[in-house]
Amino acid sequence: MSRRARGILAAIAALALAPGALAVVRAMPPLGDHPLPYGDAVNRVAPAERAVSNMVTAVNFDLRGFDTLGEEVMLLAAVVGAVVVLRGARGEGVGDRPARCGSRPIPPRSDAVVLLCRMTAPLTLIYGLYVVLHAALTPGGGFQGGAIIGSGLVLVWLGEGYNAWRRMVPGVVLHALEGGGAGLYALAGFGAMLTGAAYLANMLPLGDWGSILSGGMIPVVNFGVGLAVSGAFGMLFLEFLEETREPEKGEEQ
Amino acid sequence: MSALPWSVALWLFAIGFYGMITSRHYVHLIGCLSVMQSGTYVLLLSAGFRWGAGPPVFADHPPGTPAVDPVVQALVLTDIVVGAAVTALLLALALQLHKRRGTLDPEELRPMRR
Repeated sequence: MSRRARGILAAIAALALAPGALAVVRAMPPLGDHPLPYGDAVNRVAPAERAVSNMVTAVNFDLRGFDTLGEEVMLLAAVVGAVVVLRGARGEGVGDRPARCGSRPIPPRSDAVVLLCRMTAPLTLIYGLYVVLHAALTPGGGFQGGAIIGSGLVLVWLGEGYNAWRRMVPGVVLHALEGGGAGLYALAGFGAMLTGAAYLANMLPLGDWGSILSGGMIPVVNFGVGLAVSGAFGMLFLEFLEETREPEKGEEQ
Repeated sequence: MSALPWSVALWLFAIGFYGMITSRHYVHLIGCLSVMQSGTYVLLLSAGFRWGAGPPVFADHPPGTPAVDPVVQALVLTDIVVGAAVTALLLALALQLHKRRGTLDPEELRPMRR
């Protein structure tokens, strides 16, 4: 189909769908002024029943913890897919040859970038760990904190370069983080079954309100998610970075 | 005014869709997919909004104070994670495609055209 025919077809489809979409927009309830039964139920029940103050974490890792396991496995599947698609011997060897982007050599880093990254990378990694660990208390959690840790890994690369980055962040560690985090989540569910409860039931003592370990099972599965997400971002970053390396002799493209 | 967030969600979805149809580059197309998905974030967060309510995190205000809906916020979190994973997978595929065929223009990549 030519570009022109595709445009005409899309315009016809848009004209057909527009009245329905506009009717839906007009029929939606007024913003911020309609009942929220499920949210109110969570806000009422979860602080008392689970001793956590972050309701989003309570929903994600307790009330619908099984869904989050599915989400975690989906993330694992997508990352494994990306790694398999990009896998090759290219970039595995840590040599001193400069990275190239096509035929264009990448210029060396300036001292200002190195200094800035050396200052911000450790802080970003620690902040990510803080966000992961305080999931039950303040905004954040395993997914958000894992993404921040992933950004910290990017800052390490920006400051130290590819070769140093490969030495500091070995691929096998990232694989262990990703697989171990997802495995911790799944095994925590089986741990609850050992006590005779349902899969992923919250069987651990709930702890005190405001404590970093409050919420029983929530900190455990949240930590698993934090490990898995930071490992996933690191693995993706590693695979994409390997593509920037010039293939050595005999390596596949 | 009360229809504004729903209109924004519809607009984001529509403009991302338009970008996908007219796209001449797969990386641009993947970006358009992310724009379409942003419409769902706006829709979900607006559905859980409530005037005069605080965040559903009771760390600095006691439980029982009015708060917005945490269920849709958890859904948006899932949405963002799925979006990031799908984007990474699609970009990996685009990279391999460029290596095999030397182009990322959808028009040049008909299955039967070699």
